[in-house]
Amino acid sequence: MKRFKLLFAVAVLVLALAPVGAQDVTTVSLWFGEGATLDCWGPIMLEFNDVDPSVQLEIVPQADTWNATRTAVVGGGGPDIVRTPGPSFVYEMAQAGLILPLDTFSESMGWGDFFFDWALDLGLVDGQLYSLSDELETLILYYNTDVFEANGWTPPDTMDELNDLGEEVAAAGLTVFSHGNASWRPSNEWFVGEYMTQIAGPHNVYKALTGQIPWTDESMVEAMEVLNDHMQAGWYGGGIDLYFTNEGPTRRAMLADGNAAMNIEGSWAIRELNDYHTESGQGWDWVSVPSKTGDDQFTIGMGNTSSINANSPHPEAAAKFLTWYFSPETQGKMLTSCRKGPAPVEISDDVMGELDPRIAKVYSDLSDASANDRYGYTTWTFWPPKSDVYIYEEVERVWTGEITVMDYLEGLNEVFAEELAAGDIPPIPNR
Amino acid sequence: MMAVLTQKNPTTIFEKLNDETWRRKFVRNVVIPWIFIAPLLIVHIFVVAIPAVQGVYMSMTDWGGINPNVNFIGLENYHELLFEDQAFAKSLRNNIIWMLFFLTVPFIMALFCATQLAQIKRGGMLYRSILFIPYVLASVVTTTIWKNLLNPKQGIVAASANLLGIEGFEVAFLGRTDTALMSIAFIDNWHFWGFLMILFLAAMQAIPPVLYDAAKIDGANRWQEFRHVTLPGIRPIVLFMFMMVAIWSFLAFDYIWLITQGGPGGASEVIATQLYKNAFQRFEAGYAAAQGVVISIFAGFIILIFVTLRRRGWDI
Repeated sequence: MKRFKLLFAVAVLVLALAPVGAQDVTTVSLWFGEGATLDCWGPIMLEFNDVDPSVQLEIVPQADTWNATRTAVVGGGGPDIVRTPGPSFVYEMAQAGLILPLDTFSESMGWGDFFFDWALDLGLVDGQLYSLSDELETLILYYNTDVFEANGWTPPDTMDELNDLGEEVAAAGLTVFSHGNASWRPSNEWFVGEYMTQIAGPHNVYKALTGQIPWTDESMVEAMEVLNDHMQAGWYGGGIDLYFTNEGPTRRAMLADGNAAMNIEGSWAIRELNDYHTESGQGWDWVSVPSKTGDDQFTIGMGNTSSINANSPHPEAAAKFLTWYFSPETQGKMLTSCRKGPAPVEISDDVMGELDPRIAKVYSDLSDASANDRYGYTTWTFWPPKSDVYIYEEVERVWTGEITVMDYLEGLNEVFAEELAAGDIPPIPNR
Repeated sequence: MMAVLTQKNPTTIFEKLNDETWRRKFVRNVVIPWIFIAPLLIVHIFVVAIPAVQGVYMSMTDWGGINPNVNFIGLENYHELLFEDQAFAKSLRNNIIWMLFFLTVPFIMALFCATQLAQIKRGGMLYRSILFIPYVLASVVTTTIWKNLLNPKQGIVAASANLLGIEGFEVAFLGRTDTALMSIAFIDNWHFWGFLMILFLAAMQAIPPVLYDAAKIDGANRWQEFRHVTLPGIRPIVLFMFMMVAIWSFLAFDYIWLITQGGPGGASEVIATQLYKNAFQRFEAGYAAAQGVVISIFAGFIILIFVTLRRRGWDI
């Protein structure tokens, strides 16, 4: 009995003391998709736990992260840090009061010191900051250097040169662009946004996004006609039906093995592309996607955003983590270690010097383009959700001959007008 | 004896409540069963009934799926769905094609194979297991296998046909608008028909052998045995599966989503894939709820047909 009393007393003491210790540590939760990305990002993100022992980050691997997060947050739960697939997804959550305005944190923690001005503007909803953009990305034209050398080709600077080169590549029995959307159907939108930017021009796209001109404008029609011509000529993936069938590994292998000459894809592809080319022993390089005018123009995209859950019991701690995570040092480390597209923050030249020069050039050229009014827009970042889905779903009906380019653009005009009237357009930085 | 003769059966509710025997019977036959079923009923109310009612309400709103502020818009979603949305009409047509395929092809295959397997005395279990294995594979596994098999460049189907000198198989079956839906149906059926066959086989084995003996004595051939003994014997399960397959056809989602996500150009779009896109990509949850209600109405209509047939004396 005595022994029992003693044990009981010890247990009571332990239970009484435990919360005292626990109160000193605040846990910030973050849900993240399972897989190779988390395997590389995770350990770096967890280094935050050594920075400030009073705030500990907990990463919860989660399948179908965005849908799981959205459902949980709407239901009054979810993680402290709310990650969305892009700025256009933030709007509804902010309107519903599900995420917190971050202006006070931004001021007190000095986010403006390291974020580009335009990048913070992307997180504004009705004039208040609700999200921080992450994973700066752009689309570029990759090419197989061995194939180009063997055939005496040079990378194209203009759309006309691309058209001529495409014909030569096809005549040589090669696939012009190694592509396929079987693994990721929304990849259709990469080309719609890119052709609009490179042919209609970023200023016209800006005007259309701000409702100054319709999507049926002559310049947009021209852009979509050129894309459709390239599709009908079988330049993408070797034919339209093959484009709809080719999986991700197939399209990577096509370029790496020299069965295709080029590939228009995002900067996110570099890591995988490099692995395939290392294995095949063939070289790769990139140039900006050729434009009608010959100017180097880059579309800007954001892979995801981070916000703070309105239900978070400790938003300050969450903001501390965001400050550390978005710091140029952390972003630089993730760029060099994981080839992660950095957040739109100033990364030091030392960090860039450690990178493969081809990768470093992507970000320096993109930075140069954004500073010199040569930047365009990716559809998943700047178009509202319904218009975005319309863009990649309905364009297949153009390519399969069910509707015309004009039908497609008229439909886009209709869907976009509704969203514009409802004020659902993501923030478009003024130019 | 006199007491028994003078005892009256209780007729009014008050008399019944005062009657000990009636009370005991009532507790045993009514109260206790309800107590046993109550936990399930409560779960069902919270998990199925209330969300279903909420779903019907949401179908009459402009809810986007995130913002809790919703506006009641009456039957506007239904009007748009049934009279304006051409994509919905196309999806419905694809669902009907899907249903017709699954009400014929797997049934014929399953009936034929079950009939053959029912006669195998040795090694029958091995055959059954082999034919049933695709059913227990996860849809993501099955679709990955078949996407590779049907690949026009590296797939074994095209390669084998090439080897045998057969032309016409270097086709991107899943990438063409005229073949995508049927190719997915073929893949789904590859996994499904074994299940149907096992059900039919089990039903066939429950038919008393004396009926077959009698048929043989009457001089029936194999077809006549099947027509007059086997088919009537398994008719309840066949008709029940007809009903279930018809309902499932309107819920078709996983194979289509995993293979083409409704593409190319909407060629394999069905109501469920369109519903998913509306709810989770376009953020039109109210409109998606209306589509869900419409699917439920179709299912209810199919059940109604079978209930009516049953009332008319069909052995279902």
